[in-house]
Amino acid sequence: MDETIYITGAGIVSALGVGKEATWDAINHHQTGISSIHYLKTTHSEFPVGEVKLSNEEMVKILHLPSTMPTTRTSLMGMLAVNEALEQSKLIRHKGMNIVFISGTTVGGMDKSEQYYTDFLSNDTYNAYIATHDCGACTEMIADYFGGFKMVSSISTACSSAANAILFGSELIRQHRADIVVAGGSECITKFHLNGFKSLMILDTELCKPFDANRHGLNLGEGSGYLVLESHESLSRRNISPIAKLAGGGNACDAFHQTASSPNGEGAYRAMSLAIQQANLAPSDINYINAHGTGTINNNSSECNAIKRLFGETPPPFSSTKSYTGHATSASGGIEAVISLLAIQHNQIPVNLNFHDLMPEIPLEPAIIDFPKYPLKNVLSNSFGFGGNDTSLIFSKI
Amino acid sequence: MQPLYIQSISQISAQKPFSESWMEQPIQYGYGYHRSIDPDFKDFFSPNEARRMGRLLKRAIITSREVIKDTQVLPDAIITGTGLGCIDNTEILLKALSNEGETISKPACFMQSTHNTISSLVGIDLKCHGYNTTYSHKGISFECALLDATMQLSKNDIHSVLVGAHDEMTPDYFTILQRIGYLGGDMKGFSSETSVSMLLEKEKNQQTICRIDGIEICYCPTMKELTSSLERLLKNAKCPLPSIDGIMIGVNGNSHNDNTYSKYIPDLFGEVPLLRYKHLFGESYTAPALGFYTAAICLKHHHIPSHLFIEDCNGKQGIKHILLYNQFEDKNHTLILLSCSN
Repeated sequence: MDETIYITGAGIVSALGVGKEATWDAINHHQTGISSIHYLKTTHSEFPVGEVKLSNEEMVKILHLPSTMPTTRTSLMGMLAVNEALEQSKLIRHKGMNIVFISGTTVGGMDKSEQYYTDFLSNDTYNAYIATHDCGACTEMIADYFGGFKMVSSISTACSSAANAILFGSELIRQHRADIVVAGGSECITKFHLNGFKSLMILDTELCKPFDANRHGLNLGEGSGYLVLESHESLSRRNISPIAKLAGGGNACDAFHQTASSPNGEGAYRAMSLAIQQANLAPSDINYINAHGTGTINNNSSECNAIKRLFGETPPPFSSTKSYTGHATSASGGIEAVISLLAIQHNQIPVNLNFHDLMPEIPLEPAIIDFPKYPLKNVLSNSFGFGGNDTSLIFSKI
Repeated sequence: MQPLYIQSISQISAQKPFSESWMEQPIQYGYGYHRSIDPDFKDFFSPNEARRMGRLLKRAIITSREVIKDTQVLPDAIITGTGLGCIDNTEILLKALSNEGETISKPACFMQSTHNTISSLVGIDLKCHGYNTTYSHKGISFECALLDATMQLSKNDIHSVLVGAHDEMTPDYFTILQRIGYLGGDMKGFSSETSVSMLLEKEKNQQTICRIDGIEICYCPTMKELTSSLERLLKNAKCPLPSIDGIMIGVNGNSHNDNTYSKYIPDLFGEVPLLRYKHLFGESYTAPALGFYTAAICLKHHHIPSHLFIEDCNGKQGIKHILLYNQFEDKNHTLILLSCSN
């Protein structure tokens, strides 16, 4: 029996725009979506961010939602990306099928909670947003916009949330709990985590420089990315062609520190190894690594150590597309999954922006110049979260 | 799914920590909000460690350590469910942002505010590099974690999974949740907190508490869909409905919640006796893990005490199967079948 997990749809919203076309166009032209803060009401204008260039009101209009409906930015961005994914896999009116929705988020409805928190405590004015605070509420808002999902769930493993949602989704199909799973994640920038990351002193006041010797930290981003995962049986039944397959995935725990990564990248090494093993591949079969690559001192050297341990002195080309989108935290695994699929489709490696000098502690150079039509068969995408929740996914050409 | 075995289960809750004394001498609570009864944290942490960790994290570490001590098994995976995560730290930051503005700097609170800090800290504490993930989906967060655990255990290289369910409640968040009627209102029961950890394995041993025969999770099901989920669960477990000794449900005295159960129960379960657990443990997002714990301990002792029955009953001996039915806001519905392992 064919147990392959096929991908039949993908949707993306990020600082680069809404949809796959806008995203690839920006990457192809080496244009970053990171700029000064515009939509989030914060005093910290010193930090560049990768905001989605739409207000909530504009998204409500695009989605034809009633303007009075209580929504959160995370759920609105999620609806846009899920819509694109479902349209591509011809699932927009899918009532009656065994479809599951798994979404990763950590911030959830925090954008409203931080705005109305004192009201929550003292009056009934914004009660509608109390119910939208938690992770599950955002997932259900997205699910209910489309309707027809037979099970929904939310995963919250910080910056690997979306990757773990995709991993869990693939397992639901493999174990015949679902025929089709829509999985990924969504997350908006909030004052809550902007100030949180600031207190950890890992935000760069300039454009982030992943893997560069003079990197100073990350730029926060936001957005959403979802995949439609499907079994072979379901593909045949619906007579639909896949765009790629999810060849494997691995989840491991660094078990080192609540926010920092271990120097030798133990969790990252294990997650990548497990993914390659599950995909029945050898490290040499990987043609490109879409790195976690946040741009912090600690993450980049830890990830490179893990890459070197696994792939040796000459690893496959790697880059961090967070230099285009910013770090969209819980959504990053979904966003980068879609970018990995676009790279496979176009046989082109996204170039790492803002790289100038090799890191002295581990001199590995990311992909910085275009290789036209580089044959991409297997792409490894890394998502590493706080607490060492590390997950790697492998996407492969059909 | 293949049957799985609960080898050890530990709780910190509104009843005595680690104790099964609620079977015969339950602590009674009135309306309102009552926090868990914590063990003496000094017995578990150095002053330095204790200072660095919030209350919920301490409970999660302690219940996990108890289970590991009891089984002497280092788990291959750690999977956690939490509805709100470390809400205490989250609130500290929200309040500081509201009151002091964006000049605040509270890195320790921020680090411990993410939902996955619980599962990852348990991983760090046990030095466990295996699969580690966290589910946060309202009142079914525990069941999502349990479902993943059953799927992980069907893999050849995963032999044991530590499943945790942890939620805390602060006075302010109790006030907030009262506003939307999740807690309080006409609720006759109380709200509380949950910390449950358990070790699941594929093989039965002398320690085994009971067996998990199946789990189903549905979203906004029709009556027909819910019925077929139940039928699938019972058929796979080869356990006809009449052989079930009790249906454990999450009634809490809140009419909106309880009426939803009443809407489905007669058609789903007919005459099977109904059992409750929230009179002991209160309401919280992961309270279903305490219902699961209650059922597991009853199966271990082959006995359901009278106070668990919703309709008058003198208790029941020689029991073999308990089915747990949980619903949250009439959207998420879950079914779990637990059985005696001998």
